[in-house]
Amino acid sequence: MPKPESAKPTRREILKAGGLGLLTVTLGGQWVHLSPAEAQAAGAPLAVFTPEEAATLAALGERLVPGSWKAGVLPFVDYQLAAAPEDCMLMIQYLGVDPPFTPFYRTGLGALDAAAQARHQSPFAKLEDAPAEELIAAMAEGKLENWAGPPSPFFYFVLRNDACDVMYGTEKGFAALGVHYAAHIRPPSEWGEIS
Amino acid sequence: MSELPNEKIDAVIVGSGAAGSHFAARLAQAGKRVAILEAGPARPKDELVSSMLWARRLKGGGAPVLETGKGTVGNGFNAGRGVGGSTMHHYAVWPRLHENDFRVKSLYGRSRDWPIAYTDLQPYYDRVQEECGISGDHLAETTRPPGSPYPMPPVPVSVQGRVVAQGFAAMGMKVSPIPLAVNSRSYKGRPSCLWDGWCDAGCPIGALANAQTIHLPQAEAAGATIHPDTEVVRVLTSADGKRVTGVEAMTKDGRRVRVMADVVVVAAFTIQSPRLLLASATPQHPEGLANSSGNLGRFVTTHGAAPIFGLHPKVTTPAFGAFGGQLLNQEHYDDKNAHASSGAFGSYQWMIANALKPNGLLGIAPTRPDLRGPALTKFMEQASEHMITMTGVTEDEALAENRITLSPRKDALGVPLASVDYTPAKASMALWDAAIAEGLEVFRAAGTSEAWNAPRAPMHIMGGTVMGTSAADSVTNSYGQTHDLPNLFVGGAGLFPTSGGVNPTFTVHALAARSSEYLVKNWDSVIG
Repeated sequence: MPKPESAKPTRREILKAGGLGLLTVTLGGQWVHLSPAEAQAAGAPLAVFTPEEAATLAALGERLVPGSWKAGVLPFVDYQLAAAPEDCMLMIQYLGVDPPFTPFYRTGLGALDAAAQARHQSPFAKLEDAPAEELIAAMAEGKLENWAGPPSPFFYFVLRNDACDVMYGTEKGFAALGVHYAAHIRPPSEWGEIS
Repeated sequence: MSELPNEKIDAVIVGSGAAGSHFAARLAQAGKRVAILEAGPARPKDELVSSMLWARRLKGGGAPVLETGKGTVGNGFNAGRGVGGSTMHHYAVWPRLHENDFRVKSLYGRSRDWPIAYTDLQPYYDRVQEECGISGDHLAETTRPPGSPYPMPPVPVSVQGRVVAQGFAAMGMKVSPIPLAVNSRSYKGRPSCLWDGWCDAGCPIGALANAQTIHLPQAEAAGATIHPDTEVVRVLTSADGKRVTGVEAMTKDGRRVRVMADVVVVAAFTIQSPRLLLASATPQHPEGLANSSGNLGRFVTTHGAAPIFGLHPKVTTPAFGAFGGQLLNQEHYDDKNAHASSGAFGSYQWMIANALKPNGLLGIAPTRPDLRGPALTKFMEQASEHMITMTGVTEDEALAENRITLSPRKDALGVPLASVDYTPAKASMALWDAAIAEGLEVFRAAGTSEAWNAPRAPMHIMGGTVMGTSAADSVTNSYGQTHDLPNLFVGGAGLFPTSGGVNPTFTVHALAARSSEYLVKNWDSVIG
């Protein structure tokens, strides 16, 4: 697995952004800070997403699939988008979307954040539970006005599956469900990340 | 890796999947010098790691396929990439087509006829079955057309299979063991399956019959060479346009190479084969090679998958078994008008009790996209123990307007992309509706607390290079030999004039066995 090239932002910028609170999200009514250690443990530096996009993705993933934030939904998606196309493990590659896939994620995350701003004058990542769920429900049903991303129910489906992949698609994820992994050959890493 | 041949060889084969590997083995064993060019990478068995995430590298990839119709054929999910092609992620459900599948136009006045009957293909089904190994019970499978008994006993049935079988029984319907090209005991030196449900990730132990397990080793042992990362961009023709002379390909390091041969076999899967022939147009063949009928690219079909899910009070441990399933039902298969009252047409079968991993497009999580947050967590915990499933394989009416053409857009190698205009016939949609209604009823009868289904999804892709009796309305004859260019052959499910309602790979092999035998017997006249 080739190491993804580190585009912008750099790890230093991410850490700096974290220090400024840009990666701080509220989950379950509590403020959660994406610590540099956690970001690093999960495969930082990010290669693709801006701090704002990263915060939105991590918050959305966690709301859709509890536990996926800690499991690394953000570094998972970021890493796969930066990988060579033949090594990409994202489900989107066989859902009829033309590669490259980064614009799909970028416009979708941007549209969600714009919707949060329009309705609640807040980034999505900082919404409380009730308005966040209301926004997600509208996104899932294609009922968000002025949505400027990929079809919102499809974007919801893709992000939900990404979060499920990282939460349930690994040995740890199977174990959390009590399912015996029973590998013929264990994968060299959970999803290609650099350990 | 072998060097590409510098001198003219006997046969160059485009693609290393079911058809390409089968042709290669038979031709090489007949003493022919054979090279297989594969667009994707090598797939060493030790890289077939058990993970639904890593497994995705076996699919999709390559030049994108554009879609313009109301339906989709799902090339990214159905195609394979790498040595072994889509067989490396196929689930080895190997039923036979039925007699009526070969005569749809004659019997029902719709779709098309095949240029052969079941009896023409039966000896090849039997031969392939013996060679590759199928587990099943030909007597219990009462709907199976005539043929030899399966060489291995049926695959094991788990609680999941048993409870679904009870649902069928409650409705007065019978199930039988599913015919699976997966070893239920050791067979011809290959081990028995462990039933740990990792078929989607490729089978590293060789229990599942795929190209790397069966025909590619045979081909190599007989002297054929396999060339991964070598993408064919053009089929070459003689100056007078009457013969093909070889292929032009791009290597991974950017070299444009030519491999010259007396025979070219195009077996690059259903979308890429017609794309290549269309893109190889010459002044003598302005609409593409083998397209004097105008039907190259037409009559694309895909099976509408009808997935049924349920939660059962019993512990079903759905993560284990085989992806293809444990049991089969073909209750209404032989009457394509069984559901005509609702406008439906065609045959379908049920593949029962498929292994379900927690994640993945065919896993547990995507079956309830409406659930999220704590409700999803609860569902995942419950479903990992109690879920049951089966999948309907529904026939698709063959329509001329469902077709593959070239897009003005080109890939990185300068070859126009394939564009697929596919909208399923109303009768095919109605058949899917009928299957779903029946499936949900079966699951309720099985005692589920909840039963639901997924939307129609494309499973398998067929047509586009259809065989027929007449050069005026088909691309090849019954041997996959193109009507226009006698030393150009096509292999794969693209040859199917109609889709039937069974999985295609066994039939792809049977056709390749018949075609390659014909080619060897008639070599001198074929190469002129």
